[in-house]
Amino acid sequence: MSLLNDPSMKEVVDEFCDESLQLFNELEEILEEFEDDPTQTEKLEQFGQIIDRVMGSAKTIGADEIATFCELGKAIGYKSSQVNDRALLEVVCAIMFDSLELLKKMILQIKEGNSSSFEETSSTAFVTRLKWLKEKFNDIERASCAADPDANLSQTSIDDLMSSLGL
Amino acid sequence: MALKSDMKILVIDDMATMRKIIKNMLQQIGFKNITEADDGATAWPMIQEALDSPEPYEFIVSDWNMPQMSGLDLLKKVRETEALKKLPFLMITAEAEQGNVVIAVKAGVSNFIVKPFSAAVLKEKIEKIF
Repeated sequence: MSLLNDPSMKEVVDEFCDESLQLFNELEEILEEFEDDPTQTEKLEQFGQIIDRVMGSAKTIGADEIATFCELGKAIGYKSSQVNDRALLEVVCAIMFDSLELLKKMILQIKEGNSSSFEETSSTAFVTRLKWLKEKFNDIERASCAADPDANLSQTSIDDLMSSLGL
Repeated sequence: MALKSDMKILVIDDMATMRKIIKNMLQQIGFKNITEADDGATAWPMIQEALDSPEPYEFIVSDWNMPQMSGLDLLKKVRETEALKKLPFLMITAEAEQGNVVIAVKAGVSNFIVKPFSAAVLKEKIEKIF
C-alpha cells in the first residue's frame, strides 16, 4: 500500500499537498517572469530544479501520476533552458502553465481523498503531449542539475567506484 | 556492527514531507535521536556546532537537490573537514544519474538511495554503511 492510501499517513500526505501547491505557485511566478522576458532562459532551469523537488516527494508517497508530470516537466525545464528557439520556448511556457494547472487539480483531488479520479483531469493525454515536447529536445543531454557535466570517466572507473561502495 | 538506537542523526531535505517520511522510517528502524534541517546551508552550521559539542552527529541523511546548498556541496564541505572525513553520509536522490552517482562516490558518499524507497531499503543501506 502506498503512503497515499495509508490512513495513518494522512498528515504527511496533507503536508505534501500543501508544500506542492506552494511550489506550483512559485513555478507559475517563474513562468510569468520568463514570459515577460524570454531571454531569461535560466528561469526554465530554475523551473526544472523546483519541480524536481516535488517529483521526489511524489514518488515517495506513491503519487505516480504527479511524479510522471514532474519528471517530464523537470527534463523539459532543464533542456529548454539550453536552447534559444523563441517559438519553441513559447510552446514550452504555455504547456508548462497548463501542466501546473493540471498538477494543482491532481493535488486538490488527493486532498479530497479522490486520487483515483485523475483520469478526469485528462492526465494521460497530457503526459503524451509532455513526452512529445520532451522529444523536441532529444539532442540535448543535460536533463537535471548535473553536478559536473565535464567529468567524463571511463565505464571501468564507474564500475570500480560503484562496486567499491556495494552499489 | 550493532546499530545504536541513540545514534545522533541529521536528516536534511528541503521538503518537509520528505523529512517527516524519512524520520518516520528511521524511527521504525529503531532510531530515536533524530534532528532535521531544511537545506544543506542550514545543516552545515549545525554539523559544525555539534562537532564542538560533546554530541557530534554520527550519521547524515541528505537529499541531493536543495535550493541553497545541494547535498553534494554539503558532502564536499563535510569531507574537507578533518574531523568529519569518516562521518557516514547517505545521499538520497530522485534520479540516480550515473554521472552524478560517480561524482558523489568520488566526493566520499557512504551510500545512495533512490526515491521511492521503503524503511527496509533504508535499513539495509544503513547496515551496509555501519
